[in-house]
Amino acid sequence: MKDFANQASWDRVLRVLMGVVLLFLGWGGAVSGVWGEVFKYLGFVPLLTGLLGFCPIYYVLKIRTKQA
Amino acid sequence: MADPLQKVLSNPKPVIVDLWAPWCTPCKMMAPAFERVGKQYQGQVDVVKINADEHPEVLRELKVMGIPTMVGFSGGKEVARRVGMQPEAEIAAFFESVLTGIPAEKGLSAFTRLLRLASGLAVAAIGWFSAQSWILMVIGGIVMFSAVYDRCPVYKAISGRIKEMLKG
Repeated sequence: MKDFANQASWDRVLRVLMGVVLLFLGWGGAVSGVWGEVFKYLGFVPLLTGLLGFCPIYYVLKIRTKQA
Repeated sequence: MADPLQKVLSNPKPVIVDLWAPWCTPCKMMAPAFERVGKQYQGQVDVVKINADEHPEVLRELKVMGIPTMVGFSGGKEVARRVGMQPEAEIAAFFESVLTGIPAEKGLSAFTRLLRLASGLAVAAIGWFSAQSWILMVIGGIVMFSAVYDRCPVYKAISGRIKEMLKG
């Protein structure tokens, strides 16, 4: 099976942390208004890409932080 | 009755021994997937199915404690072993590892499990304490489950059945 994962461990941890922080800010109400609404959903993007270890933008730009 | 293991040990080609029994339900559930994978590797990897009831001496010799068990041999030496019911992808990975001699990467790494558990817990906690949102709690629960799904016997049984149904 082809290995689609293109993120190193540190990259994944960073994304997951960023996702959790954004979700906390958005859903917890620390940030309100338009940004609060944006964070509520934007947080899922780094969380998901970090959990999967695959970033579509990296894939398009042919970037890899994971060592082959 | 002749010892079927002798043939395996004298075979220079990679061989996979599948230990099964007629009363073993997981063996029966795994059998169609095992046969499909076996056909894919026909000519490259020989397959020997051994009925554990008829050949208890093989179980003793290989120190097999339970069935289904797949034991991979290469050049007459044991190179890999997998115990318990396996999904088709795992069976294929096992065949590949016996053929190439490269150990199959088994399931999720400890790092991935930890990452999923921690982030799932964090999302569920945000849902519980900050947002009182059941959606976040469900998402957190799903993420946490994804860390251990391959160890869940209920999931194994259900996913195996669904795959069989889809393949007709």
